[in-house]
Amino acid sequence: MNSIAIKFEDVSKSYKLYKKNSSKIFSSIFFEKHIKEKNVLNHISFSISKGESVAIIGKNGMGKSTILKLVAGITYPSYGKITVNGNLSAILELNSGFENDFTGRENIFLKCKLLGLKTAQIKEIENKIIEFADIGEYIDQPIRTYSTGMKSRLGFSISIHTYPEILILDEVFSVGDYHFKQKCYEKIKEFLNDNKHTFLLVTHAPDIAKEFCERGILIENSQIKFDGNIQDCINLYLK
Amino acid sequence: MFEIIDEHIQNISIISTLTKTDLIRTYRGAILSWAWAIIRPAFRIFIYYFMLAIGLKVSKDMFGYPYFLWLISGMVPWFYINDILNQGSESIRKYSYLVTKMKIPICIIPTFTSISRFIIHIILMAITICLFIFSGYSLDMYILQLPIYMLFMFLFFTILNQVLSLLSAVSKDFLNIIKSSVFAIFALSGVIWDISSIHNPILKFILELNPVTFLVNGYRNCFIKHVWFWEDSLSLIAFIVVFLISCILSVICYKKFKKIIPDVL
Repeated sequence: MNSIAIKFEDVSKSYKLYKKNSSKIFSSIFFEKHIKEKNVLNHISFSISKGESVAIIGKNGMGKSTILKLVAGITYPSYGKITVNGNLSAILELNSGFENDFTGRENIFLKCKLLGLKTAQIKEIENKIIEFADIGEYIDQPIRTYSTGMKSRLGFSISIHTYPEILILDEVFSVGDYHFKQKCYEKIKEFLNDNKHTFLLVTHAPDIAKEFCERGILIENSQIKFDGNIQDCINLYLK
Repeated sequence: MFEIIDEHIQNISIISTLTKTDLIRTYRGAILSWAWAIIRPAFRIFIYYFMLAIGLKVSKDMFGYPYFLWLISGMVPWFYINDILNQGSESIRKYSYLVTKMKIPICIIPTFTSISRFIIHIILMAITICLFIFSGYSLDMYILQLPIYMLFMFLFFTILNQVLSLLSAVSKDFLNIIKSSVFAIFALSGVIWDISSIHNPILKFILELNPVTFLVNGYRNCFIKHVWFWEDSLSLIAFIVVFLISCILSVICYKKFKKIIPDVL
């Protein structure tokens, strides 16, 4: 079995900054010139082995979320190679990606299906998801009536219960009340305990990073500034 | 090309789930919910009938069939085409969360919207057939080619939808161009008038190159005109050429925009 879960080899990602909306369509159809490019990631290499839990720390706009998007396969690198082994569940934004007119229960089904689960598997975990999200009778109400907190509860519950080999969380603890947060922490710890799951966390909060991860990657100016022990990483970040 | 087909085969269960979602999403929330799939087109056919037959008095028997039946047999395929042009082209924008939040191949989004529209089309077609039978016009052998035309239409517009929705996702201007040209396409395709009544041969030929005209005429061939689809070989060849062009375009667009779209949406 391959022990590498995620591997970045010399990856760069740049976004094109268009001055006008019209130049967007023009350049993508005909030719590309005079377009300013913003390098978000600049020749980054790292690898994460299976069972590791890693925190990615950095200021806003430094490319943390871009790394997650690349891992999740949502965007493509401009340069370099990315290898990901194992199925993954990415919660990039907990409360997005719901069908507003669907009930919570239908959304569970839809999301699980999109993550590649079979109907029988979904039936199995459906009750666990509902129980964990703990939003009461709202589960049979359309999502548009939900509050932000309820949406993210449901979103988190779905992601953690699909038991992905790689779990990706992006700033997810900024919502939800205290008790729910505690519940999430316990669930994640339980999830990490068997050392089979890889966990990737993007956060600003040092305590959360310390709690779950042994390794930290500090991103600064589109490059990896530090990669190693979480405590050293945080110290460097806070400095 | 193979990549697009391959993505579809691998994600067949996701496509079917999303097709259901798309259908439910369209009709959910209204009291009459599913009935709207029939009421809306029926209402529009009635308005056109009223406008043309009672207002403008163009109503005359078409090839021995009442104008109303002639109109309906052309309008029903047009509803599908209209949905593709109006809603299908928007599909990637509408389902942008599938692109930016989840790992779903982009090329299946236009496909499942097209399938969901096509299901509605099948229902409408069944009603049309019933209408023909109840009004006492028996159907004959020519109806057997109806599935062929339906398949032609489905394949052509599913592939065209790839191109349209990809381009619309990149540029909102393009989306507006499509939307504003829908009525022009409708008016020029002989949905509400008979293209064979044009006397100028050059103009007629140009209009018959239009794939929408080919399909609408094709549906009428089955019900009313009683012509086999290979009999008008020139139109068929023109359609196949347009079909192949849109295939090539869809591959080019997919290659070009696949990696750009997640960044621009």
